[in-house]
Order: sequence, then structure tokens, then C-alpha cells
Amino acid sequence: MLAFQMAMVSDKVNAEMVQAREFPELSDQFHVHGVPHTNINHGAGEVLGSVPAADLIQEIAKVLKK
Amino acid sequence: MANLLNEDIHKQLSEIFHELEKPVVLLFFSDKKELCDNCEQTIQLLKEVASTTDKIIIKQSSLEEDAKTAEKYLIDKTPAIAVCVQDGDSLIDHGIRFYGVPSGMEFETFIQTILMVSKGEQGLEKETIAFLKDLKEPVHLQVFVTPT
Repeated sequence: MLAFQMAMVSDKVNAEMVQAREFPELSDQFHVHGVPHTNINHGAGEVLGSVPAADLIQEIAKVLKK
Repeated sequence: MANLLNEDIHKQLSEIFHELEKPVVLLFFSDKKELCDNCEQTIQLLKEVASTTDKIIIKQSSLEEDAKTAEKYLIDKTPAIAVCVQDGDSLIDHGIRFYGVPSGMEFETFIQTILMVSKGEQGLEKETIAFLKDLKEPVHLQVFVTPT
């Protein structure tokens, strides 16, 4: 839900929910072992589990600094 | 196929959907015109959800028949749902997608997302909004989930 809230606020943010079992190749590609698993910019960063907005933002900021 | 949602859920949905403001347009994409099992299940779920309100519109197409639209909405796998909102004459796309059947735990997220885009309220804190509004580069968030 957080990802979608963020997508709604910013035109720069796109968010997608993926049913891991229906897309096993994609899940393998990003080493999804537990859910929710949030992948940022196609593998540049990731967040495991449900986290508060502040934590997701921190990881996004880290990815963008790279 | 039997109904995916029971009568109670139908009733609950028609109640919470009274809160809907702007019409929500669900763009559904399958791979081919002939639907795979998961596509079949997804479109049935969407139709059942939409049957509880007149503010949800479904537009169904396939990558096979309408590659241009799929490309425009950056659909790269199916079944896919782009959750958009109708604002007067224009269709607003916030970049929200569901891939796979939005069932189980994700059903609630799906319903909450419909309410959110329709009402235009996202409920995030000020600091979070400030960070997001300040973004200069694209951010793609891909959230993997399982139905249970």
C-alpha cells in the first residue's frame, strides 16, 4: 500500500504489485524469498518486509545517490 | 465459474464504495485475446468488484490485440491491471499496477488503492510527501507478495 501511496504523490514514482507465485522467473531474478519484498529501480535496492515510510525513503535515497 | 466473492463481501464493497468520488478506470490486460486461467480469474474478480458500484469502469484489452496501449501503460507481463482515475475528460495514471490476481491479502490493498485514487487522498506524512515531491529521478517500486 505504501508504494502505491508514494506513486500517487509523485509523478516520478511508479509502483507495481507482483504476485510472486505467478511470476516465478521474476521472483528468482530478484531473489525473493519472503514477502513483502520491495525491489527499487530494478534491483538497485531492496527492502524486506513491511516497513515504515521513513525506512523505504531512506533506501530510495541510497539508490538515487549511487 | 462460481462467484469469487461471497455475498457478504459484495455487500461490504457496495457499502465502502459509497465513499468513491471520481470514477476509477481499471485497465485490464491479458496476454492473448484468449484468456489464461489467471487472466480469467482476474477479469472475473474485477467484474465482481465493479458490479458493486457504478463508479468503477473496466477496460479490457490484450497485448496481442492492442500492443500500443500496453506500451503506453508500460505493461510488460500479464494479467495486469493499471488503476487510473477519470478526472473530467482526462484519464489520470499515477503509475499504479497490479500483476497477477489481486486476491487473498492483496485484495484489501486493491480495494484501498481504488478508494485512494478516487478520493485523491494518500494519507502520507508531511516529511514523506516533501521527499517525494522533491524527486528528480524516476523511482520504480516493485513489491512482491503472495496471496496468503
